[in-house]
Amino acid sequence: MTTTLQTPIFTLMSDFVQTLITALAIGSLYALIALGYTMVYGILKFINFAHSDIVVLGAWSSYTLAVRILPWLGLDPHNPATVPPFWVAAVVMLAAMVLCGVVGFAIERLAYRRLRRAPRLNVLITAIGVSLLLQNVGQLNFVFGASPQKMPALLPSWELASIAFGEGESARRVVIGLIDVVIFSLATTLMLMMQYLVFHTKLGVAMRAVSFNTDNAALMGIPVDRVVSFTFVLGSVLAAAAGFLYVMKYPSMNQPAHAVWVLLGLKAFVAAVIGGIGNVRGAVLGGFVIAFVEQFGAFYISSNYRDVYVFALLIVILLVKPSGLLGSPVREKV
Amino acid sequence: MAKAPNSAQIWTSKTNAAGSASFSDRDSGFVRNTLAGLMPFAVGIAMASLLHFLLPGMVGLYYSRIVTDIGIAIIMAVSLNIVNGMTGQFSIGHAGFMTLGGYMAAFTSYYGSMCLWGNTEIHGGFLGTGEWLFVVSCIVGGLLAAGAGYVVGLPSLRLRGDYLAIVTLGFGEIIRVILQQTGKVIESAEALKTGGLSQMIPPPVGGALGFGGVPKYTNLFWVFTILTVTLVIAYRLKRSSFGRGMISVREDEIAAQAMGVNIARQKVLAFVIAAFFAGIAGGLFAHERGVILSPKDAGFQRSFDYVIMTVLGGRGSITGVMLAAGLLTALPEFLREFEQYRLIVYALLLIFMMLVRPQGLLGIHEIWDLWPRRRTTLPPTASLMHSSTMPSQESKR
Amino acid sequence: MNTPASTTASTGTPPIDSGVLLDINSIGISFGGLKAVQDFSLQLPAAGLFGLIGPNGAGKTTIFNLLTGVYEPDSGEIHLASRRLFNRQPHEITAAGIARTFQNIRLFPDLSVLDNVRLAGQLHNQQGLLSTLLRTRGYRREEQLLQEKAFNLLEIFELQDRAHELASSLSYGHQRKLEIVRALATNPQVLLLDEPAAGLNPQEKKLLAQSIQQIRDRFQVAVLLIEHDMPLVMEICENIIVLDHGNTICRGTPREVQNDERVIAAYLGSGLTDEESSPAA
Repeated sequence: MTTTLQTPIFTLMSDFVQTLITALAIGSLYALIALGYTMVYGILKFINFAHSDIVVLGAWSSYTLAVRILPWLGLDPHNPATVPPFWVAAVVMLAAMVLCGVVGFAIERLAYRRLRRAPRLNVLITAIGVSLLLQNVGQLNFVFGASPQKMPALLPSWELASIAFGEGESARRVVIGLIDVVIFSLATTLMLMMQYLVFHTKLGVAMRAVSFNTDNAALMGIPVDRVVSFTFVLGSVLAAAAGFLYVMKYPSMNQPAHAVWVLLGLKAFVAAVIGGIGNVRGAVLGGFVIAFVEQFGAFYISSNYRDVYVFALLIVILLVKPSGLLGSPVREKV
Repeated sequence: MAKAPNSAQIWTSKTNAAGSASFSDRDSGFVRNTLAGLMPFAVGIAMASLLHFLLPGMVGLYYSRIVTDIGIAIIMAVSLNIVNGMTGQFSIGHAGFMTLGGYMAAFTSYYGSMCLWGNTEIHGGFLGTGEWLFVVSCIVGGLLAAGAGYVVGLPSLRLRGDYLAIVTLGFGEIIRVILQQTGKVIESAEALKTGGLSQMIPPPVGGALGFGGVPKYTNLFWVFTILTVTLVIAYRLKRSSFGRGMISVREDEIAAQAMGVNIARQKVLAFVIAAFFAGIAGGLFAHERGVILSPKDAGFQRSFDYVIMTVLGGRGSITGVMLAAGLLTALPEFLREFEQYRLIVYALLLIFMMLVRPQGLLGIHEIWDLWPRRRTTLPPTASLMHSSTMPSQESKR
Repeated sequence: MNTPASTTASTGTPPIDSGVLLDINSIGISFGGLKAVQDFSLQLPAAGLFGLIGPNGAGKTTIFNLLTGVYEPDSGEIHLASRRLFNRQPHEITAAGIARTFQNIRLFPDLSVLDNVRLAGQLHNQQGLLSTLLRTRGYRREEQLLQEKAFNLLEIFELQDRAHELASSLSYGHQRKLEIVRALATNPQVLLLDEPAAGLNPQEKKLLAQSIQQIRDRFQVAVLLIEHDMPLVMEICENIIVLDHGNTICRGTPREVQNDERVIAAYLGSGLTDEESSPAA
């Protein structure tokens, strides 16, 4: 039994590192979702409330697909010990991404395109309508149903590394799991691809031109409709990946219209605002900032007020620097 | 269903008679003026009484309950319309004000009852002491909500449309979370006395389980009396310098400022007034038979219901919003088998409205604007010069 | 000297007594490193009628925005009737006595013509909330007076027949008129008109020219006018300031300005095509 003075320090350190790891993983997810919000806002200047429902769609379609594929491979989806080969996870994720891309495209085409010149409040209300629609259609019995489910484990819960703080049996271990590493690296890869796309390709230039001034971009010969569609598809694809990765980490899934999903999307939106809405790098930064605030606040202050910290931060930013950390102020022309 | 009489008719008929002489020359009489000002309230109270005593006998308790719900929904929707419709802001956390006010009202009446009478049973009959405690509680709830409205209104000064929507949404969620962390309800007067003041922090209002045991005072009379007050105030606000100011904020903030409108004041005022009535409606809701007030009532799901009512009814149309509120509260009751499709229908309705008729059913008009109506104008006081120049060459008096 | 109660028709001669009403002293503003307006000064006398001209993007509307509190100048001072206007909200400046119209008409489309004017007229007589909701005698009296005042104004400009129509349903010419009426309803000492002739046909422009002068005389307001229509400006303005790229390049009487080389160069370019370079106007 080693009750030395060093133990509290080890506990402190190990807790800190554990929270850090979780924050990094969650932050990547928030960042992925925030990218969708920020790109759509940059291009069309409105909050796509329905974006969080794409995340839900990604999560639940992953579930539905996984639950179908595993028995076909002879595996029991409800047994957490039986883990399928890696390609199953990849297939499920890609399928979810494709599905969500298509849905995102459809939403823009059917609901938002006609409102491109409408007052922003109208578009916002429409977005709320689309969000409600997606949520509640998702809860219909023949779609995803209105009961919580458990996501089958598609990735083994290996421990890739463990850091020990202290000595002997009373040492505190912090485990770095495969899932967290996958989430972080996959998300980072996607974000780097986004970065490359937006800043180093012609398509990216077109996207930025449209976000700067839609009419001028059209005058320059940029096919605005196609760029807008592509942006929606891109955001939806990232959201799908985020949804998939989220249920990899937290397999207990709530039903589609549950508040948990909306809060997830809301926090991701807050991340986009904090980073500077319309700013791609800002979305990534904001995602991690939010995750850190949430995780460290929940652990060190109180986990009951987990959601409040994020909103409190939002209010502070909106009052102090409304254009966000990386954003630049926009003047209205009088 | 009670509807406030058209106080505009009382007003314009007076000015018509005034003619070109200045108003102060007419001896309108203090009594006559006061009567005119209080008329709508008297009519409203009369109708509320009629409803209260006659309706349950006519249609039974179930439908009376629906009518009560409609009354509360109208108060919520009309008050939200002051912010969203008239002032053009985008508040989607209105249920937060309602729930906050409801909790405050319930707290006041529950623990007030305990302190006054030692228990939380219903006291006195119609218009008895118990009911007055209830009314006072609702007002207290409204005041707290109004204070919250001030706090939420302040960020609205800096934020535009979408951002404000998020902040108001966040407000509702914060209220919900905070209410979930409250303590257990104290069950008896003895426990209250022995526990002392320390058990009031955090407020013992039930936490996530909800506030059970609130004395159920809400009845048709009070709902519709308060509804009358709300409608009269909303209407008088709309047809006044305040109303013009608020509408100008909605139409064009920069032009409004240039015309001397203090847009900050108008926005915050709209929030405060709307929140006040939402808080009172919350009090009515908390004391309704069969209702257990719970933190999730502050969430966005409920807020969306009221937003949909204002969108459907038409921004700036009090009667339109009343209609929408009545429709959207009554219909789900009759279509209970289709409950899982309800929100889908709402969603499609919302999208459809925005694509096809974004101004809502009645737009900026009231229901009586649909009929052709002789316009009342003042007779001209300066003589007209039929010259080709723009301003008349005659001097202004 | 003109008096408001006089029944003789005024012909547009400026009043004798003209102390400086609006004293603008070296104001300037930059937007992100670009100097939109630099070192602008102007002394506008009571009941003066001055013009502000310059090519597009010269900074004319920016100056209006500086005067009305939309922007805060980086440098310089503005005094109205010897009181310094500093750090004021736009609505406070309107209350102090500076009213404006907008380059792109900014009427309130869903309000009636009458309400547009009443809104502008109500700023000097703010009603309390309680008296509004209770419809007290004092409230009704004030509303009555406001309505009468608004109607009077509409009649002077022959818009009273449309008093109850929505502002958005008016013809373009009438909308321009209403913009000016609305600004006048705020009872200003200084009236800033931003391109009031834009989109008007020659006949309407003639009427407008006369009207501006009559407004100046009858309502005893000083007028500062931004315009592109040169004949109009030259005809009615006593004094003209010419702006180019934020700088004052010339000031003087119409004749002096017309013949100034720098002005001609600014408008027509000095041989090469003149590119648009300043963003804020």
